[in-house]
Amino acid sequence: MKSSKAAFLLRLVLLILIASLVIPTTFSFSQEKGLEVAPGIPRSETLILEDPSGRSTNPGRFNLWGGGVSSWSTGLQQLALDALWYIDPDAGIEGKTWINSLAAEPPVYNKSFTKMTVKLRKGIYWSDGVEFTADDVVYTVKTLAAHPEMSWGAQMKVNVKDVSAPDKYTVVFDLTQPNSRFHTVFTVRWCGCYIMPKHIFEKQKDPVAFDFNPPVSLGPYVLKSYDSAGNWFLWERRQDWQRTTLGMYGMPAPKYVLYEAPGPAEKRVMAQLNHDLDVIHDIAPEGVVTLKKKNPTSVTWFDDFPWAHPDPTLPAVLLNHEKYPLNMKEVRWALTLAIDIVQVSLASYNGAATISAIEVPPTGHYLEWYFDPIQPWLEKFSIKVGGKAFYPYDSSIPSKIAEKAKNDLGYNVPTDPKEIKARLGYGWWKYAPDIAEKLLLSKGFKRDKNGKWLLPDGKPWKITILSEAEARPTMARAAATIAEQWRKFGIDAVHEPTDQVWTRTSYGDYDASLIWNVETWGGHPDLFWFLESWHSQYYRPSGQPIVAKNHMRWKNKRLDSIIDQLRRRSFDDPKCIDLGLEFIKLCVEEMPTIPLMSYNVFTVCDEYYWTGFPTAKDPYTDPVPNWANSKYMFVKIKPVKR
Amino acid sequence: MKNPFIIYIIQRILQCIVVIFIGTTVTFVIPRLVPSTNPVETAIARAQMMGQYTDPKAVDEMRRVLKKLYGLEGTTFQQYIRYWGSVLRGDFGPSFSSFPTPVMTLIRVSLSWTAGLLLLTTILSWIIGTLLGGLAGYFSEKPWARILEIFTNAIRPIPYYIMALLMLILFSYVLPLFPRGGAFAIGLTPTFSWQFIRSVIIHAFLPALSLIVVGIGGWFQNMRVLVSNVIREDYVVYAETLNISPQDILYKYVIRNAALPQLTGLALQLGMIFSGALITEVVFNYPGLGFLLYTGILRGDYSLIMGITFFSIVAIAVGALIIDLLYPLFDPRVRYT
Repeated sequence: MKSSKAAFLLRLVLLILIASLVIPTTFSFSQEKGLEVAPGIPRSETLILEDPSGRSTNPGRFNLWGGGVSSWSTGLQQLALDALWYIDPDAGIEGKTWINSLAAEPPVYNKSFTKMTVKLRKGIYWSDGVEFTADDVVYTVKTLAAHPEMSWGAQMKVNVKDVSAPDKYTVVFDLTQPNSRFHTVFTVRWCGCYIMPKHIFEKQKDPVAFDFNPPVSLGPYVLKSYDSAGNWFLWERRQDWQRTTLGMYGMPAPKYVLYEAPGPAEKRVMAQLNHDLDVIHDIAPEGVVTLKKKNPTSVTWFDDFPWAHPDPTLPAVLLNHEKYPLNMKEVRWALTLAIDIVQVSLASYNGAATISAIEVPPTGHYLEWYFDPIQPWLEKFSIKVGGKAFYPYDSSIPSKIAEKAKNDLGYNVPTDPKEIKARLGYGWWKYAPDIAEKLLLSKGFKRDKNGKWLLPDGKPWKITILSEAEARPTMARAAATIAEQWRKFGIDAVHEPTDQVWTRTSYGDYDASLIWNVETWGGHPDLFWFLESWHSQYYRPSGQPIVAKNHMRWKNKRLDSIIDQLRRRSFDDPKCIDLGLEFIKLCVEEMPTIPLMSYNVFTVCDEYYWTGFPTAKDPYTDPVPNWANSKYMFVKIKPVKR
Repeated sequence: MKNPFIIYIIQRILQCIVVIFIGTTVTFVIPRLVPSTNPVETAIARAQMMGQYTDPKAVDEMRRVLKKLYGLEGTTFQQYIRYWGSVLRGDFGPSFSSFPTPVMTLIRVSLSWTAGLLLLTTILSWIIGTLLGGLAGYFSEKPWARILEIFTNAIRPIPYYIMALLMLILFSYVLPLFPRGGAFAIGLTPTFSWQFIRSVIIHAFLPALSLIVVGIGGWFQNMRVLVSNVIREDYVVYAETLNISPQDILYKYVIRNAALPQLTGLALQLGMIFSGALITEVVFNYPGLGFLLYTGILRGDYSLIMGITFFSIVAIAVGALIIDLLYPLFDPRVRYT
């Protein structure tokens, strides 16, 4: 009796378990999966891209100007919004990096840079049939200036005295003070100030509270549907796509575009192996290796090692100049020479990093504008150590990384030195702990009986290096390796991964921090974009949050002079490159931060359904799908007949 | 004469209010103690991190207006008083990271998914785990009881992330029976149609199964240990000597007594639902409060953090209160005299 009742209960539990497994499968998920992405949406007509921001917590909000949009990579800024100009970080769809989008031509400034005139393109229409005109631009600027809490609002308030539309296709900006770079607010690098539909927003009581749902589009797609839980956004090509700026280059091939949050890296790999995800935004190098091995249709920026697209952003070890002894350039140089970049590259990116010894990323046209011209100077550059000249630059380092990647990891690495340079960088600083030691000794540092470094005042020397945690594993690995190398050199160095790295670095609550504060156009040589805020007029001491980019609290008169000269020159003045080179030389001498590498993004595209994605061989735009510029690939890709 | 039960209830309710007050106050203070966490700076840093051009002249203006907008002006104490005013009005204000969307709107959307998934899985895993644990403890010498024990012992140490991922690989890729994530199929909009309900069930199946399998293990082990102790109690031995039927001993003497701590555990576990299931949500792209809370923490979104944790604190405190009040129904030994 006892055992029969127990057996009955056991059977009941088993029955529940089996039923729970069987019943849903009888609903047959396979009914949902197949040749359609969604009911009535053929897979063959749909491009599926990863939204790297993950699930949107506020998916019903499309008012990018009003703020509170939890992801910028849902297709909104890529497919539905448009700006006056774009600068492509790669070659550009027309073979030129400067792209006049809503504007018909580049901006025209008066001599004193207090007035900017913009001529607009004709024949562009919003998706509801209303024509785009100068009134939209004027409305955008005036609304933003009246609401500094909105995205770009403070910039309009501070810079614009007045804005007017003398005719339907001309906008004139009167600026509050000379500003030769004002147009960059309206120029898309990753994003830029997009133009608002006046006829929609002017009917709203509060332009900030308005959700702009569904968004009226100025791009070639309109929102078809979205997940109220925030996992996906489905866009459909406009019938009148010709009346958009992207339409100038032809019809965007996908009839539908789906941006989705596919989840952790393992799932992204599996999704692409199943041809369910056409564009992976970014993945660890190991994921790329798996995809390249197992999916013959997976393509990357470089067809082989190092695969990744180098974004025009420069991760670096930022050093807080207000933390003794990091205020001494000899100390900063010693820390640099105690880093073995070959090991850092291998540990962080499996060797697939594009290294940079100078304060700009080795991407796009920066190779010809800055890297090629600076090489002879770098080769001759020396630092005085014990009265002798030491030449720290080593152009053979990329070859050493390539060799290690080949021998240790078995990758197919390029053998042509030119190709190695293009893919892995031009060179870096020698790993020279002996020279680093001499530099420290010259400043009064000593080692204790255990070989640990003591500060000149006899106290132990401790450094904490911050980095992001699991959000950016490559950066975390690089920071951990550098901390280990510094420990090996005798410094009490600790790596602290933290999700608060940006705000802590902003407040000066750090010694060293592996993040980035150098972001360049990639497609334009002007460095003012990030450099302006390095001017001492914007200096903020530790304890106060910084203004924009001078996290390291570096003050230098020569730097101020370079920035002042850039400010006085127009955006396209060729002299700006000379000033950029001067800035780079100053940074090499002072080593305010330790530049490491470009921000390599391992975007993997699947050519199973679509072909013609941008690559190093055909670099017509940036394939990284959270960049607004990635919209240019929609008119270049073609469907694969299956 | 005063009714001791009424006095007890009043005391417990007062205790519950104190717990909620202290918990809420701690929730208010802790985010403000985290070094360099500041929603205004987080918002500016996020904009800059994403590659937005920021005119340095405009940054101070941005700081000023955002601070005003987020209601972060005044001293921390003034903010604290304002916060309690909002809580008592049932309004947690706008989320900073999803400004100006109200915190309550964000919580409402996520809570429906979290509650649906976690209520079901928590109760199911409790029932199955407790029953199986009780049987396995009582019939500990039986081969099936040993197999169950080995099985649950093998599952328990597996990190949940790995377990969930394994299930996903097995049932979504190797055997493509279930979707790889999300709450419902792409292209559907939430309606009371069979198509939508079917899609919700299919999408919730794997997340639910992973939570149940892991959940069962814990309840099973606890119950098995409790039963193995109870069967050595004098009153069980005494019942056996009186020749009371084994099934009566099992259900009336053993399981009923051993299940009491399990019941308390269930009440607390149900309260924890408001914290969400972050890893489940990440692995299966399942919407819920866990990811919402995690996002709020990353972005220094005080109002969102406080909104979610307030509900969590209230749910746990009230859950504990209810189970305390209901205890006499389950355990006749408890008397309020």
